[in-house]
Amino acid sequence: MLDRIELAEKNFKTEIESEIDLEKLEEVRIKYLGRKGLFTELFEEFKQLPKEEKPKYGQVLNKAKSLAQKLFDELKSKLESSEAEQKEYIDLTLAGRGVNLGSKHILTQTLDEIKGIFKGLGFSIYEGPELESDHNNFEMLNFPADHPARDMQDTFFVNDNFLLRTHTSPVQVRLMENTKPPIRALMPGKVYRNEAISAKSYCLFHQVEGLYVDEDVTFAELKGTLVAFLKQFFGEDVKYRFRPSFFPFTEPSAEVDVWWQQKGKEGKWLEILGCGMVDPNVLENVKIDNEKYVGYAFGMGVERIAMLKYGVGDIRVFFDNDKRFLEQF
Amino acid sequence: MKLSLNWLKQYIDLDGITTEEVVENLTTAGLEVDEVIDQKKLYDNFVVGYVKERVKHPNADKLSLCKVVVDEEEYPIVCGAPNVDAGQKIILAKIGAKIPNEDFTISKSKIRGEVSMGMICSERELGISDEHEGIMVLDENIESGTAFSDAFRLNDVIIDIDITPNRADAFSHIGSARDLAAVFGRKLKLPELNLTETDEDVNSIASVEIENEVDCPRYVAKVVENVTIKESPEWLKKRLTAIGLRPINNVVDVTNFVLYEVGQPLHAFDLDQLAGNKIIIRCAGKDEKFVTLDSKERKLLETDLLICDAEKAVAIAGVMGGENSEVTESTKNILIESAYFRPSSIRKTSKKLGLQTDASIRFERGCDVDVTIFAAKRAAQLIAELGNGEIAKGEIDVYPNVIAKKKVSLRISRIKKILGFDIPTEKVKEIFSGLEFEMVSEADETLTYSIPTFRHDIEREIDLIEEVARIYGYDNIPAIAKIGVSVERRVDHSSFNDNVRETLSSLGFYEIITNSLLNKELASRFGNPVGVLNPQSVEMSHIRPSLLPGLLSTISRNIKVKESNLKLYEVGHVITKLNDTINDFSDFEETEHLLFAITGLANEDEWYSKKREFDFYDLKGFISSFLNSVTNSSKVKLKYNNSNDDGIFEYSIENLIAKNKIAEGGKVKSSILKEFGISQDVFAFDVNLTELKKIEVELSSFSELLKFPKVKKDCAFILDSNIDYNSVVKIIESNSSKLLKNVKLFDIFESESLGVNKKSLAFELSYFDEKKTLTEEEVEKEFWKAIESVKNKFNAELRG
Repeated sequence: MLDRIELAEKNFKTEIESEIDLEKLEEVRIKYLGRKGLFTELFEEFKQLPKEEKPKYGQVLNKAKSLAQKLFDELKSKLESSEAEQKEYIDLTLAGRGVNLGSKHILTQTLDEIKGIFKGLGFSIYEGPELESDHNNFEMLNFPADHPARDMQDTFFVNDNFLLRTHTSPVQVRLMENTKPPIRALMPGKVYRNEAISAKSYCLFHQVEGLYVDEDVTFAELKGTLVAFLKQFFGEDVKYRFRPSFFPFTEPSAEVDVWWQQKGKEGKWLEILGCGMVDPNVLENVKIDNEKYVGYAFGMGVERIAMLKYGVGDIRVFFDNDKRFLEQF
Repeated sequence: MKLSLNWLKQYIDLDGITTEEVVENLTTAGLEVDEVIDQKKLYDNFVVGYVKERVKHPNADKLSLCKVVVDEEEYPIVCGAPNVDAGQKIILAKIGAKIPNEDFTISKSKIRGEVSMGMICSERELGISDEHEGIMVLDENIESGTAFSDAFRLNDVIIDIDITPNRADAFSHIGSARDLAAVFGRKLKLPELNLTETDEDVNSIASVEIENEVDCPRYVAKVVENVTIKESPEWLKKRLTAIGLRPINNVVDVTNFVLYEVGQPLHAFDLDQLAGNKIIIRCAGKDEKFVTLDSKERKLLETDLLICDAEKAVAIAGVMGGENSEVTESTKNILIESAYFRPSSIRKTSKKLGLQTDASIRFERGCDVDVTIFAAKRAAQLIAELGNGEIAKGEIDVYPNVIAKKKVSLRISRIKKILGFDIPTEKVKEIFSGLEFEMVSEADETLTYSIPTFRHDIEREIDLIEEVARIYGYDNIPAIAKIGVSVERRVDHSSFNDNVRETLSSLGFYEIITNSLLNKELASRFGNPVGVLNPQSVEMSHIRPSLLPGLLSTISRNIKVKESNLKLYEVGHVITKLNDTINDFSDFEETEHLLFAITGLANEDEWYSKKREFDFYDLKGFISSFLNSVTNSSKVKLKYNNSNDDGIFEYSIENLIAKNKIAEGGKVKSSILKEFGISQDVFAFDVNLTELKKIEVELSSFSELLKFPKVKKDCAFILDSNIDYNSVVKIIESNSSKLLKNVKLFDIFESESLGVNKKSLAFELSYFDEKKTLTEEEVEKEFWKAIESVKNKFNAELRG
């Protein structure tokens, strides 16, 4: 009987080790482990054995059967899982179900970047109206009536006293009239210039104005702040220069140029912002002690900076809002 | 203003200083250099050539075929000039030559079938005069192959500078040289006067009378007699053409030369045309008219200042002379005017007449009242030299109220307070002496200066500090950033709108920015717009009262380029006129709005779904996501309008806060879309952000997560089809206890099997209790109560 047990075990192994699928495996199971299978038969025979012989065979038989059962289970689950994988083949190359993302206008994104840098330097953000009084837009900012400085900014007038603001500086005036120093503010917004629309100029653009008024604000400090901004915005090795300029509301006044070189083209200086120390007359107009307090102010055009940064050659593209343009940013 | 480097060198020694350094330092001193033109480079590829042969062009009557020889090389050239001929020496622009003042580069071309390898130039094409009748023919001794710039000794560098409105003093070669002198620490050299005058006193020849001393504080006149009017010598013509002026005759050229030399505008009158040999400075009479040098008749105001003789007006002061007294070929005797006019008076006249001249720009910014005599003498000397004239003795100088030099003090300590670093007092003094400011006193760390009359911009201590910074060099000022934390609470006006933009963009919308100026008709269609007095064009005459026209134009433009599936938004200001005249901020209302719109397909055909067009429910979904994101207030209520005759929308929903409409959205009327050429549906939503922002956002407080299971029950009703979903929900809610947490519509359908004008609405009702697990009995009771209420209220039938 021992031989037969051994043979059954050996045959079972041979059969399941040959190439086999789930169907065949089931046949093998029935043949050996089924209700009328070989092992069952052997057990029936075992029951007939005299009592004293049982221990001799019982252990061997049990061991052989449970080994067969174990091998069968292992093989079955292996075959099942590989079969499952084959059935669920998916085409991973198909496009995913689309989720359309929108975007903020590139001018907003540029402005956000500028705002972020100055927020980090402790600046508040203030806004003001676009339809302004001549008083806030010019007079309070030291543009006397009938002065050539007014020609610097071609203005859309609504009447003698109201106009579309030509710069964000009237927000400065509003802020300084209502707040005591220290004042540290950034003032973004749309401004208007009465110029013919071309690739270089549009009737409106976005400006960001900065203002810092306190007891120990200096021109060197202005330079420091703006250099920090330039490095943050354009990169550590940005090449820049400050040169004297004129604005009625600042003195001394400066313009800041950045050296710009496109691949394969000659480099050139491009003006990107105007700045200066708040003119004592402006402080006086808003009733801030101009002996004790000193301020600096700066302003830049968002379009100009975005054109530079993203290589946009025609300002009108920003306002055409062609989806093919909007999608790019 | 254009500066000639050769001319500048007359007033400052620039030895050892390169052109690049001059350019750099002009800019850093505040005279920004716009463009530098090196004549040698400008005339690259322009050479002297010899016309070896000329025949008629076979296919064009007016053209010639020439063979031009340059350095033994032969060039076939097609030429259209009538005067071209064999044997001439000419200037040939070879391939690659850039024609000055025109954006045009010579390239190999075929003209009526004949190859041309360049162009034979006229004087105008060379940019040396206006002559364009024919080509320029040279002296036959000039060697072929010589560069044009060498043949004509064009070795100048032209520097174009931008002059800011405060720097009238720099509007001349001497003025600009003065800044360079201060920067380089070199001496400014002024031209020496050396006049030979006759014995005849100028006062016996002519007289000057100022009627308006306010607008004309000083008038200097000098007389030169027996002048021969002729062409100016080469050196003078060269100076003028270098800076883009056209030479006219020796007298006019001298006045222009002196203007660009010292910055003082001069006028030369034909003395024999001045009635009574007299000059009177007065204001124009009522309705007075005057014909200026450009042959135009100008209507004058009583505030316009005129230069007159005993009988008539002869010039508009500081702006332009008249035809009646201009210097002509037959002029013999000349009166030179060198005056100082009040800047704002000239500005007013020039602006009103729309006439800006070299003289008016200088006068309106402020000339030097003290240079008038020097300028008159300088001009008299040159006119006498170049026209063999005789200068009458002395000058007429009417200067009733002498303008005193201003005195301005500067505290050394204030320099540090403003600039942020120490500059040695000695350096400060050096800067001012370089600028010709005379120190009148020094005490208590305070320097007091007498300000030269050419510096109108220096009035206050801060102006002196600017001079120090400017000449010291902005680049030499350290960049210090001591900016610390700000203790004050920071304000951010833009954070709400930033959030609005974030929300819309993450919902898949693209932000657009459109022109806020619209034409009147369009703007008026969408509100009561404010108009602009001086628009660029009628297309941009009114300020937008709504964002909708800009957005619809954008949709229309995109559809034209086949981008017709769009989700767009704009955040911007809109302005509505409240009163007919605007005297005050209360006469109009400026508010911030958000407008978003969807149009075209919600999704196209894809492997996973079928295409579908946007509809009202997409809009509604975006509206509720948007409102949930930017405000959590329960104060925003909804109102539905199924028809809307006056408005923009065919049907719409409104958002109300305390009965005030703050937002409205729906399907844009197709009649409006038609005006924009849009034939597909557009659903839009417009919000007044100024109002929405005002609602205080309630701080969300945490609610405990559910510990007990939710119970869901479904039911479906057959109802009349005109019963709104919302009214059914309201009945269910009002007939349930707080155990009912949510009512969801999960199916809706209409079919004949339900009956005529009937529909089926299927709901899922969710119940739960925060404190315990609900029993089946409790839920059943609630559920059936709700069902009964709907059945009774709407005569509805419960579907099996």
